[in-house]
Amino acid sequence: MSEDIRVGVFVCNCGSNIGGYVNVPEVVDYAKTLKNVAFADESKWSCSVDALAQIQTSIKENGINRVVVAACTPRTHEPLFKRTVKAIGLNPYLLEFVSIREQSSWVHMNTPEIATRKAKDLIKMGVAKAALLEEGEEIRLPVKTDALIVGGGIAGMTAAQSLAIQGFNVSIIEREASLGGMLNTIGEITVEDREISSQEIVKARIEEIRRYPNIKVFTNAVIEEMSGYIGNYRVTVREQANQAKTSFDVSTVIVATGMQEVKPAGKFCYGEDSRVVTQLELEGLLKKDELDNINDVVIINCVDSMNENHGCCNIGCHVSIKNALAIKNKFEDAKIHILYRTLCLVKDERSIVERAKNANIKFIRFPDEKYPEIIKNNGAMSVRAYDTLLGREFALHADLIVLTTAFEGDRSVDQIKGQLKVSANAEGFFQEAHIKLGPLDFPADGVYLCGTARSPKILKDATEEALGAAMRASIPMKRGYIEAEGIVADIDMTQCSGCGMCVNNCPYGAIKWAAEKQPEVIKALCKGCGLCAADCPKNAVSIIHFSDEQILAMVEAALEENASKKIIGFICHWCCHGAVDMAGVGRMQYPPNALLIRVMCSARVSAKHVYRAFELGAAGVFVGGCEFPTCHYIVGNYKAEKRMDRVKKSLSKQGFDPERLWVGWCSAADGPKFANIMRDMAKKLNLG
Amino acid sequence: MAGIHVALNAAEYGTMVYLIDDTASIGGIMARLDKTFPTNDCSICIEAPRMYEVDNNEHIKILTNTEVRRITRKNGVFVVRLVKKAKFIDEDKCTGCGACTQACPITVPDGMDGKIGGTKKLISIPFPQAVPSAVAVDKRCRNGKMRADGACIGGCVVDCSQCRECPIALCVKACIKEGKDAVRLWQADTQMDIEVKSIVVASGLNPDEPEDGQYGYNVYQNVITNLQFERLMNAGGPTGGDIIRPSDNKHPKKIAWIQCVGRGLRDGGVHYCSKVCCMIAAKQTIITKEHGPDVETIVFYNDLKAYGKGFWGFYSKAVEHGVKYVRARPYDVREDERTGNLFVKYEDLDTGELKEEEVELLVLSMGLISGDRNAKLARTLGLKLDGYGFFKEKDALMRPLETNVEGIYLCGGATGPIDISESVIQASAAALKAVSNNAEVAK
Repeated sequence: MSEDIRVGVFVCNCGSNIGGYVNVPEVVDYAKTLKNVAFADESKWSCSVDALAQIQTSIKENGINRVVVAACTPRTHEPLFKRTVKAIGLNPYLLEFVSIREQSSWVHMNTPEIATRKAKDLIKMGVAKAALLEEGEEIRLPVKTDALIVGGGIAGMTAAQSLAIQGFNVSIIEREASLGGMLNTIGEITVEDREISSQEIVKARIEEIRRYPNIKVFTNAVIEEMSGYIGNYRVTVREQANQAKTSFDVSTVIVATGMQEVKPAGKFCYGEDSRVVTQLELEGLLKKDELDNINDVVIINCVDSMNENHGCCNIGCHVSIKNALAIKNKFEDAKIHILYRTLCLVKDERSIVERAKNANIKFIRFPDEKYPEIIKNNGAMSVRAYDTLLGREFALHADLIVLTTAFEGDRSVDQIKGQLKVSANAEGFFQEAHIKLGPLDFPADGVYLCGTARSPKILKDATEEALGAAMRASIPMKRGYIEAEGIVADIDMTQCSGCGMCVNNCPYGAIKWAAEKQPEVIKALCKGCGLCAADCPKNAVSIIHFSDEQILAMVEAALEENASKKIIGFICHWCCHGAVDMAGVGRMQYPPNALLIRVMCSARVSAKHVYRAFELGAAGVFVGGCEFPTCHYIVGNYKAEKRMDRVKKSLSKQGFDPERLWVGWCSAADGPKFANIMRDMAKKLNLG
Repeated sequence: MAGIHVALNAAEYGTMVYLIDDTASIGGIMARLDKTFPTNDCSICIEAPRMYEVDNNEHIKILTNTEVRRITRKNGVFVVRLVKKAKFIDEDKCTGCGACTQACPITVPDGMDGKIGGTKKLISIPFPQAVPSAVAVDKRCRNGKMRADGACIGGCVVDCSQCRECPIALCVKACIKEGKDAVRLWQADTQMDIEVKSIVVASGLNPDEPEDGQYGYNVYQNVITNLQFERLMNAGGPTGGDIIRPSDNKHPKKIAWIQCVGRGLRDGGVHYCSKVCCMIAAKQTIITKEHGPDVETIVFYNDLKAYGKGFWGFYSKAVEHGVKYVRARPYDVREDERTGNLFVKYEDLDTGELKEEEVELLVLSMGLISGDRNAKLARTLGLKLDGYGFFKEKDALMRPLETNVEGIYLCGGATGPIDISESVIQASAAALKAVSNNAEVAK
């Protein structure tokens, strides 16, 4: 590096929170002795407006080009200091934050000398990294205003309309001849205490859509090809009627492919006897008025659901009652029995049970493990069931048997999974980025999901999801770009062997083949977890701001003195760092041996980081990530756990005791757990 | 969570957002939970980063301890009169360092954690990850109501607004010693007007409280609600995640859950299914089993609501962990005074038999009810409520989340019992309505 490195170190007293336990003037003097340090100073409250201005002045006056702030925790205050240096024209990626409050003064309150010593070590590590910091930049990828919606059901139509209102161009692809999806096969929908025709709902939506010239509808059409990433999807649609192909580009994709009924072939005489139908088939019969005069109807719920194959279908209980009422409307004298396992009616849906009871529809609960059976005798059909309430078996004559079956994702799921590089669960429903906080997103930016393609649900919920997915898609289209933090992967093509490990393992699909054996990082899609860098067999992948060089420099700085008494800890930014901070806030006192190095994800920690620490004589190494199953990078902690298992095995071959490598999975509320790990390590490693 | 999510979505879209919360920190009920079903993700771990994101987003202005007093409409714009209630803290100066909390001499039971040993000081931060990261002074202390308990504030003859430099209050002294001087005992409520194009109501809901005596609640010490149990499990809760019972701080070896408490079984109860309680119980039993595999866990339930994605698998996991599910209607709870254990009498709904079970801790799974601020807020905003006190949608099917007032939208617990993912979905949807309303008004 030809540039003259001038590091400025700014140590905060945090009132007496740091200064009361750490000898700050001594730390400042020590910092001045470190290599590359051009300036060091302290302030009472570094985050106060006057102190921030003073930092800016000091940077300018002393020609500082790397900044180390030693204060509270980067999880809350790093953005503030980054903004401060940015304001005077210094690249914010040239700042390193060192946590000496949560990691030293608060947790070693009774031993000021030790707290001071540790603060010095932490600052030395920070300075070592700072000297190697390089400018980074937020990476922007342009996003235009064209969206594709796969599936023209109610969810797809609602999403399309919501996007069109904002002026975006929308294409809807629908496989069937007309828009409407599953609603076209359904007679009526229950709203509060009444039923309304689903055809009316579809009609109203289609009319609304027609008002927008910026919505283009392809019916009777399938997607032949679809590939790319946000801002850059290429789609080819084939119209089935004339085999005409149209290709166009879109920036975002909303998947609204819906669901289908699982046909219970071979069960309950389904497929053998035309008197046994599914709920959707019954809807069709009711709609077309094709039901002959019937007297005895038996409805069996939870057919092939709530078992090892399928979960609760969410809607079956309600549908069975609604359709029982519909049959009653046509055939007033029909006797209807609903056989059920459990009544899963949520919110105030229960009111429909009252209506059914008033209409003399009978409910019989059968045990989970004892499903009803169908008996045929000279052409007559009956259902034998066990009634838990009466505690005995009985038979019901039936001239129509309706099976409430499970649902699964649409048959197009496999094709779309491949095209968009997304995944689905065993039931064929698409897998969202995060079940709680990212329900409408896929892990990759630019592609979203909604409606029954995600899981079975009622019309209102599907509509809300469609609106929500439209919002998610609108954000990058409205901004005109997506922006990624500068912490991203970078591949050195002179080292790369083209093995493809990074392409296959990236949880965000951010590494693509630019050409054969030539992986390319789509930087705007990269979240910077570092999984690829740690796994790369050729060391060809680096993470900006968390490079191997920088991490190893911290390890080396930490272990320069007294290595045999020290533990090197690698902690993930999101959860384990949260636990460390909480241990600090809670003033949990624990042994001071560990010097912590922050990485974005535990998956960033590679074998060589661990080996290096042991080579330099570290007493122990700790790798801390998020508590399972939480991970801010989807699978990072799982990958880290596996990798560290491998590292443990190879450590003994290299003559190191594998028991000196510890892993720990802490949630951000696990302050006590982290403190205990530190105590246990100190004890087991005889660091007393 | 719903409000945070609306704010983030709308701000990322490019819209200016005011996030109004009438408590001292954003975060809502989720910040109090331990884990979330059906994945057992740590609740605050996934919520706190979003809270910091809100805090750092230049398009979002957070106003805590703030209430909406009235709204008027002028040229398609809502003029909203806000009242920021005094926290007696200068939020810009406070760094949440906690020196004042350590100096405060008075410890009081902390809201819902009180029964299970949760305490707080009269000046404290709402929870460690609070945003804004600032303390608040208990109003009772400031108003002199805690004087008899030994509080330092309130014994002074001089009005704080006249004096402005407290020689008595230990928190003021501690703060000045830290060089901050952020405690402002003379702070008054302040009013302000803001102008907005759309309003999203994400005012949340409340967990129902059992009546005194219901299944022995507030009569027997070892009967607690599921929310209190959640706090027991929480590493950030009053026991540091140790599941101990209130009477003797022992680890209970046998715990029972009673589902559907307060629901429809008698007058005045919650007449609808709150839908999330079954999964909350599954979550709590699984975590209990993970804390101590030898702890016996029994769930007395009626119908199983495993309605959502992954919920059935989650219930199955509980069963695999050895959780006993009994379809039952408990009708009586008696305490053994000697041991503090509880005898639960119930009717086994599968066999019709009357049975009894002795447990060491009893958890009541409470339904979710409408927020206590809904009635007032509805009056202020001119919105309609449904029969249960939740905000009413104008046309639930064709125009979900819209209200009888154009430009005001709903999401989350304001609409009814709801889980976190549904809240997040509605939040995105409501944000869309809010920003597109903006667009149309702008035209």
